[in-house]
Amino acid sequence: MRIISLAAKRLAASLPTLLLILVGIFCLLQFAPGDTVDAMLAQMGGGDAAIAADLRRFYGLDLSVAEQLTRYLWRLVRLDLGFSAIYGKPVATVILERLPATLSLMGASLSFAFAAGMALGVIAARRVNRWPDTLISTLGLIFYATPSFWFGLMAIVLFSVHLQWLPAGGFGDVAMGYTGARRVLDIAWHLVLPTLTLGLIFLAIYLRIMRASMLEVLSLDFVRTARAKGLRETRIITRHVLRNALLPMVTLIGLQAGTMLGGAVVVESVFSLPGLGRLAYESVVQRDLNTLLGIVFVSALLVIAVNFLVDMLYARLDPRIGA
Amino acid sequence: MNRRETLLLVGSTLVGVPAMAQETPRRGGVMTVHFSTEQRILNPSLQASTGVYIVGGKIQEALVDLDAAGNPTPVLAESWESSADGKSITFKLRAGVTWHDGKPFTSADVAFTAMEMWKKILNYGTALQLFLTAVDTPDPLTAIFRYERPMPLGLLLRALPDLGYISPKHIYETGNIRQNPANTAPIGTGPFKFVQYERGQFIIADRNTNYWRPNLPYLDRVVWRVIGDRAAAAAQMEAGQILFSPYSALAISDFQRLARDPRFEVTTRGNEGNARTNTLEFNFRNPILADIRVRKALAHALNIPFFIENFLGSFAKPGTGPIPSVSTDYYPAGMPQYPFDVAAANRLLDEAGHRRGAGGVRFSLRLHPAPWGEDISLFATFMQQSFAQIGVRIEIVRLDAAGWLRTIYNDHNFDLASGWHQYRSDPAVSTTVWYRSGSPVGAPWTNQWGWNDPTIDQIIDNAATELDVPRRRALYADFVRRAQTELPLWMPIEQIFVSVFNKRLRNVANNPRWASSSWHDTWLAN
Amino acid sequence: MRRALLAYIRNPAAVLGAALVLAVLAMGLAAPLLFPNDPLGLAGRPLQWPGANPRFPLGTDPSGRDIMAQLFHGARVSLLIGFVATLVATAIGIAIGALAGFYSGFVDTVLMRLTEAFQTLPNFLLLLVLVAVFGSQIETVTIAIGLVSWPPVARLTRAEFLTLRTREFVQAARVQGLSDLHLMLREVLPNALPPVIVYASVVMAVAILLESALAFLQLSDPNVPSWGNLIGLGRNVLRVEWYVSAIPGVAILLTILGVSLVGQGLNDALNPRITGR
Repeated sequence: MRIISLAAKRLAASLPTLLLILVGIFCLLQFAPGDTVDAMLAQMGGGDAAIAADLRRFYGLDLSVAEQLTRYLWRLVRLDLGFSAIYGKPVATVILERLPATLSLMGASLSFAFAAGMALGVIAARRVNRWPDTLISTLGLIFYATPSFWFGLMAIVLFSVHLQWLPAGGFGDVAMGYTGARRVLDIAWHLVLPTLTLGLIFLAIYLRIMRASMLEVLSLDFVRTARAKGLRETRIITRHVLRNALLPMVTLIGLQAGTMLGGAVVVESVFSLPGLGRLAYESVVQRDLNTLLGIVFVSALLVIAVNFLVDMLYARLDPRIGA
Repeated sequence: MNRRETLLLVGSTLVGVPAMAQETPRRGGVMTVHFSTEQRILNPSLQASTGVYIVGGKIQEALVDLDAAGNPTPVLAESWESSADGKSITFKLRAGVTWHDGKPFTSADVAFTAMEMWKKILNYGTALQLFLTAVDTPDPLTAIFRYERPMPLGLLLRALPDLGYISPKHIYETGNIRQNPANTAPIGTGPFKFVQYERGQFIIADRNTNYWRPNLPYLDRVVWRVIGDRAAAAAQMEAGQILFSPYSALAISDFQRLARDPRFEVTTRGNEGNARTNTLEFNFRNPILADIRVRKALAHALNIPFFIENFLGSFAKPGTGPIPSVSTDYYPAGMPQYPFDVAAANRLLDEAGHRRGAGGVRFSLRLHPAPWGEDISLFATFMQQSFAQIGVRIEIVRLDAAGWLRTIYNDHNFDLASGWHQYRSDPAVSTTVWYRSGSPVGAPWTNQWGWNDPTIDQIIDNAATELDVPRRRALYADFVRRAQTELPLWMPIEQIFVSVFNKRLRNVANNPRWASSSWHDTWLAN
Repeated sequence: MRRALLAYIRNPAAVLGAALVLAVLAMGLAAPLLFPNDPLGLAGRPLQWPGANPRFPLGTDPSGRDIMAQLFHGARVSLLIGFVATLVATAIGIAIGALAGFYSGFVDTVLMRLTEAFQTLPNFLLLLVLVAVFGSQIETVTIAIGLVSWPPVARLTRAEFLTLRTREFVQAARVQGLSDLHLMLREVLPNALPPVIVYASVVMAVAILLESALAFLQLSDPNVPSWGNLIGLGRNVLRVEWYVSAIPGVAILLTILGVSLVGQGLNDALNPRITGR
């Protein structure tokens, strides 16, 4: 119960930020040359002025900017995200359709980056300054410096085209018509390369943070005490050190949530995944304001939610914080 | 091998009869198609574009289609005739055709579609049917189109395969046509019945068991896979995950590579009806470009055959004007041309008074290439490089689709623009409108250059209503001659869309707009 | 200062980083000497493999342009974009962070809400919108990248200002009656700068990555020989002529590696806490 009230308070505190973002993007996009009808005419390959005017009336684009904004905000208050110009469906439906792909990708990437970063960071810290540490740290740096889309392209060339081990893209093989567990496995198989691509840079960051954090904690008094007491090294690591070293990692997740969604735009483009990232890009290009604002709204909520969970987790991990 | 056998072997090789021609079609199988740009709607009665036909054309049908020779052939209309004054055109419709939901197809559907969709909403349909006043339906299998001004039968029939798709009246008569859910779940009379559309992923259509052509189609199912990335599509083609990639949707280098692979056929066959020309559009509001010597100089500065051979992999040919050579009825030979001649270009610019200044630059221009098609951006780069040779500095401005349309055709904020002109089987449909004055500001792909010529307007208007075929042909020859002399825009390259087929597919490309056609006789070998 | 410099030189990774950055800088400076012609001009037949033609050691791209020339000239573009975008981001970030940290209260709340808004919105999305609105010219793209990168700098500056604000030397200066502006610029800022400068290396790395991502999506300036543009051009021919995308990718990787190592080296040199090295 307390958690819900805390969550509600956090949401209320974030409302001004949300409003700022939505109004900001709305006003900004008004300055973009061309509107959604122009994008539609481009797709149609032509059309006369009467059609264009008719469509503008249909999409409510003949109203003033202030009026359009007011209408949008009024709908938002009633949790109505509006109608998508591109898809002719409610924005909520469109986003829900695309959510699974993005959530799977982000979830998988985050888990991979976190788990691998943690493991590698611990190993590097334990063997500090010896060759495992040097190797891992160097790899970490290289991963950090690699442009994700370039890595994705090279991975496709190597693993899909030449070795033919993994598929070149898509969210599962549609023509096969798999269902149930088979479908889940198929999708998972298609997500291997995208997960690696998106998770790479975050892996590098977590690795470095974990290593630094571990080293710091390992030098603290209580660890020396535990060692003096004769506890085994592994037990020390898992029981005492890890808990404390994880704190900065957990904070980082909150900070990276927004960046990850941005990275998803490019990865989804390279691997043809039907996710929110690509949808956002499409709605900018097609000037579909409702869809773009809907995505911004959902992603902002996601970031706020993740940060909230992170704070909860932080409180549990660190007994010094009054939980 | 004895002498007789050797002779037979040599003989059969010389005759070259493909074994395929004698194969019997196999029933069944799934055809997977590369679907590169998703559309907002799938109903071809409401949107005329290849992106819609690739799907909608299998589900819905038009009054006529094209046969292998490119002549109109009956589909939903069995026969047609025009009155002597050209103001009434009667179509006799096919009997025994049902919609996918079981209701019968009648002339009421034709009347409704023509008046409510073609005339009011369909792009290019609104212009074509501008003078359509009514469609009479004396009986369920007859539709009479009544026009205010004479409509050349040839023009109408050639336009109908693209602009003549029929939608069911009983589905669309209630509610707003634009918001009808059938727009993304089409109901038609065609060989394939819509099943599912997963946005961003795929579209599925299954065999129509009640199709009016007996024992057709052969295929069980068609799946359109959404693949936005060209390289990914080529990879899927090679992996056999897609069997057909239409409308030049792969990279040019992939065309060249797949053409060398014996599993695939890379060809322009079957797309002759979908010709387009690359354009170089001039904005007369910039006084430099208002001078015809400058325009001619720019034209002479481009080595088009070199560009085609080295950059387009020879999947194109030099253009000669607004009417491409695929138009056997109207293509006029011997029109004014502007071959590659750097000396002439330099001389013309000198004459026009533009001396070379610092760094050898005479003046600068901004070029806005359209953001679709790999060939457009390659051409833009080539133009930048070529014009640098004659002292014209080009800055390429990149815009997305909506921005580009608005900037060029509405704001007129450009010097040079380069895109595609789609030739839609008759000059009156979407070609002459690039030259005729009077289009409202903001209408894309029309004359927005700040130029007009009353003579050419007159020629265009006369040709649009001329019923006599040879006279019409002569008028369009005049039109092209004038267009090429005045050069308000230039169309130096002619292209036909390239299709890539997996050779397992049979009965493909058997009419000039096959990719947009209904695929009722396509089959899949093992 | 001297001690920091010595600590830096003794760090092999930091020296490697400096060497990489200097190498890229050298490439950029040497470009007009080694490749005096327009790198974007037609040089030869398109899509020649590296080494196939002695005139083009790294081959040609789909538009027939010399890849090596583009690589060298691209070094200037990438470094310039990185540098200017970082400057923009750092300037905005320091200004906002300083004001928020120094004044707290209402000013702090408003500025922090603004920062939070920018951070909650995925920065690449905002970048897409900015480019759609303001265009793809290189100047616009650079400023746009700066505009989406300032929030972490602001937070860092604010944190530093919050701690330093209460220190004795600041109290002393305040008692002397010096103005707020003088306090901020002359007393607090010089002490707050070191971690911000170190962070600037991260900002620069991200800026170069963002520009190349934009170019990859065909949203950057095509009149400029940037590495990202080359990767984007190579996307269509990835299957066979993968070197068109591979080569500039390696260049970006090494540049960012260098910048990151320099930043890390600076951090280690200026904050000599035990990190195990």
